[in-house]
Amino acid sequence: MAALPGLDGLDFPGLLDGLPVGVAVLDGQGRVLFLNRALEALTGFAREDARGLPCRHVLRARACVQGCPWVRSEGEGQGGETDLINRHRRRIPVRLTPVRVRDADGRELCRLDVIEDLTPLKEMENRLSLAAGPGQMVGRSQAMEKLLRLLPVIAQGDSPVLITGETGTGKDLLAEALHKASPRSREPFVRFSCGPMPEELLEAELFGRRGQGADEGRQGRFQQANNGTLSLSEIADLPVQQQARLVRYLDERTILPLGADKPVRVNVRLIASTNADPEALIRQGRLREDLFHRLAAVRLHLPPLRERGEDVSFLLQHFLGLYAARFRKDIAGFSQKALRLLSGYAFPGNVRELKNIVEFAAMVCTSDQIQPAHLPAHLPGAHEAAAAPGRKSRRDRA
Amino acid sequence: MDRKVLVALHRNEVAPRFDLATEALLVTVTEQGEVLENKTMLLAHASGDDLCDLALNKDVGAVVCGAIEEEYYHYLRWKRVDVLDGVAGPADAVLERLRRGELRAGDVLFPREA
Repeated sequence: MAALPGLDGLDFPGLLDGLPVGVAVLDGQGRVLFLNRALEALTGFAREDARGLPCRHVLRARACVQGCPWVRSEGEGQGGETDLINRHRRRIPVRLTPVRVRDADGRELCRLDVIEDLTPLKEMENRLSLAAGPGQMVGRSQAMEKLLRLLPVIAQGDSPVLITGETGTGKDLLAEALHKASPRSREPFVRFSCGPMPEELLEAELFGRRGQGADEGRQGRFQQANNGTLSLSEIADLPVQQQARLVRYLDERTILPLGADKPVRVNVRLIASTNADPEALIRQGRLREDLFHRLAAVRLHLPPLRERGEDVSFLLQHFLGLYAARFRKDIAGFSQKALRLLSGYAFPGNVRELKNIVEFAAMVCTSDQIQPAHLPAHLPGAHEAAAAPGRKSRRDRA
Repeated sequence: MDRKVLVALHRNEVAPRFDLATEALLVTVTEQGEVLENKTMLLAHASGDDLCDLALNKDVGAVVCGAIEEEYYHYLRWKRVDVLDGVAGPADAVLERLRRGELRAGDVLFPREA
């Protein structure tokens, strides 16, 4: 970029003081030269006290101790979430982005640590996840606890992930949770269902289309998800030819938009899911074996609800809490009869079905307990139980 | 009276974060400034809880560290352990100050070169 006019005598400290994010100016050895006002407020250090100190003793961020961003050269310019402890002994979630400042000849002038306070965002995230509920993976069964323990570890990597599980077990939710817990969390999370559609349209949807003349072309899901995560649900519905293109992407990290003759490099973490048994899909010729082996670098299986034992009662209570709050009702729990009925049900639609049942029950409930009468009529036994003792049917009353 | 001190370490300096310290230096200093014990312990993993336990099990009178979260600070104070936090500097320099009985919270013992 050409030199900007009028910036020769730039008041750099004044400029930094005007920024709403914290900035530390460091020398080549990582010693603090300057803190802007926002960072003084965040860390509790006055710039005079911080001057000359190694930055790790001023920022006191987890990232400084467990993997200094300046030591990881590939980390430059890429922010990462971490936390710091300020002089008031308060832990603050932050995003730390290292930026190298160079002159026109590429010589390093100084380094900047840019610190954003994530407290308001984290608070909002907590509020929303509590209010919306379905945005969170929950479970108390052994299988789910194991999965939830693995999730943060897997999220940190970049390997493709294959999620298997019956419909309604939370495959999309798990894919999103992996993205949210990953270093790509600030980048786009794009979901694409590989449902049946004309092959050319599908290709354009996934890989984009090159423009010609005045036509600007269009971005595909891969380009939209660049630097983020692309979640492909029902991967086996993707035609075999497109599956071959995915193999190419996983090998070369490039895609070829429709009508283009040169491949385009994109950086996307791929998460694929299917509700069928992948091995059976390969035998049926619906899933390419080479794609399966590449996707299954990390394979996660979401067990159906009927295999999750104590999760049924836990999830019933969990969703009831959410929906009671949403409908502003004072519902304490389920009656013994309703609970017996629900516990005996197989939930073929898994967690999604359970959630819908609880939503319905909380909506129609007018007392402080969910009774069988409040459960959807399609639930085996709900009608009979509701009509039995205590509540007389029309015929009984007649 | 002899004073037993735990210094949370990260490599050869005071750990910038108590909860992320990977080593602990246990020092016993006499009133005359003589160092009776000087032992470095490698921790299995960084953990504020474990470090608090270690400090209490070893019956130390003071903990020296960089940043410490409020809950650990108050817990140690409640257990009658002095906390000299906000200390930044090489382990040797800290030991020397301890020996002279001159280490205070917030002391910066790095040379200011910038």
